[in-house]
Amino acid sequence: MSIVSVAGVSKRFGAHVGVSDVSFRLADGERAVIVGANGAGKTTLIRMLASLSRPTSGEIEIGSESLVNGRAGVRSRIGVLTHETMLYEDLTARENLRLHARLHNVEESVCEELLETVGLAARGSERVAGFSHGMGKRVALARALVHDPDVLLLDEPYTGLDRSSLDRIEAVLEDLDDRTVLAATHDLERGVRLADRILFMNDGQLIEDASADQFSSVEAALNRYERLCRGQVTRAEAAGGGCENKNGNEE
Amino acid sequence: MTALGRYVRVIYEVARKDLLVEARSKRTINAAFVFALLIVVVFSFVFGEQVGDRDILARGALWIAVVFGGVVGMSHAVAREGRNGALGGLLLAPVDRSAVYLGKVVSSTVFVAVVGVLSTGFVVVFLDYAFPPDTLPTLLVVVVLAAVGFSAVGVLVSVLMLHSGLQESLLPVLLIPLVVPILLSGTELTRPALSAPMTSAWFRILVTYDGLMLVAGWMTFEYVVEG
Repeated sequence: MSIVSVAGVSKRFGAHVGVSDVSFRLADGERAVIVGANGAGKTTLIRMLASLSRPTSGEIEIGSESLVNGRAGVRSRIGVLTHETMLYEDLTARENLRLHARLHNVEESVCEELLETVGLAARGSERVAGFSHGMGKRVALARALVHDPDVLLLDEPYTGLDRSSLDRIEAVLEDLDDRTVLAATHDLERGVRLADRILFMNDGQLIEDASADQFSSVEAALNRYERLCRGQVTRAEAAGGGCENKNGNEE
Repeated sequence: MTALGRYVRVIYEVARKDLLVEARSKRTINAAFVFALLIVVVFSFVFGEQVGDRDILARGALWIAVVFGGVVGMSHAVAREGRNGALGGLLLAPVDRSAVYLGKVVSSTVFVAVVGVLSTGFVVVFLDYAFPPDTLPTLLVVVVLAAVGFSAVGVLVSVLMLHSGLQESLLPVLLIPLVVPILLSGTELTRPALSAPMTSAWFRILVTYDGLMLVAGWMTFEYVVEG
């Protein structure tokens, strides 16, 4: 059963088209990664799915409820981690999490567990202003999980992180194996490790929706993306979701 | 908890968070405080003893200090929401987003009212003007009502400007013309000679303005923030 349903979603910024007629569905517990160059429309799509930006046209449903025109309560099913932490620098990590727990009407005790999970229990009483980028991102991941969402939306979750924060965030995400996850990332290697599906985007369009199993390596997926962008994938390949390159080798 | 209970709780949490952050950083109130102080001091230097009617000078300085100090404070408060995309986190709460708007109006009203009270003190000290004691309750009510109206329109405009790179310069340009009714009614309602200010037309204008701006913000905030 689909938990995320995106149907014909477009977003225009004046004359510029950020996202054009994108449609896909994610099943409950499925994990997908959106791959695309800068400006491909990944962040715009994630922001629309997070209800932070209204689509110009099209419909987004979480469960069977409309995210665009439905009731606000549907947002309790979504957790969002963007490249911005959405944290207040003058509040401590614990205060930030408690604020979001109260906004989502959940018990504040969950904040302690989450601080433990992201490895910041000992620093929960420190202001976020003094945190490194990686630590801020870990608190932001805890914030995204504070209300135990069914769907986790991640926009560049690995960008600018040190090894320790990368490993910690990756470990937390791997443990969330019962959630539906949609991640937009440049780090294709980690993205592919996380995902069951790869959504390739270019110029605001979803140019291919492929199973991650189809690719034997990250290079194969990248190669496929580059060929898609250059228009070198044949009609037959695209229709069959085939992953053979021009030499007939399996990618 | 009922839907209404959750709605009220979000208003409370947003306002509480703003006040807590401000109590820690003091950025907004310091900026507004210094600006309001400078305006009153400049008034005292420029006009000094030259203006015969101290009453006009005091009321003019007070309301200009409130409005400009409020604009500076509003600018700082919204810049804080833009840092790290913090406003986005509030918008993810599973309640109608007008609750976030009302929460920010509540906290902003507190800031602007504090600026108003401080400015009154500056006028007393630097312009050597004593407000008649019997007008002080009216002055307090008018400052609070002005703060509500100012915040209702200020939060909406400043959030609208949040994603603009020209926020610092555009905010006063857009906000000050919109709060002219507050400036006019505030100046008139704090006239010592005005009998029964609470029943005057200026009072009705101020209350109506507050109501209209609150309803407009409540209805449009979701569309303003979603972009």
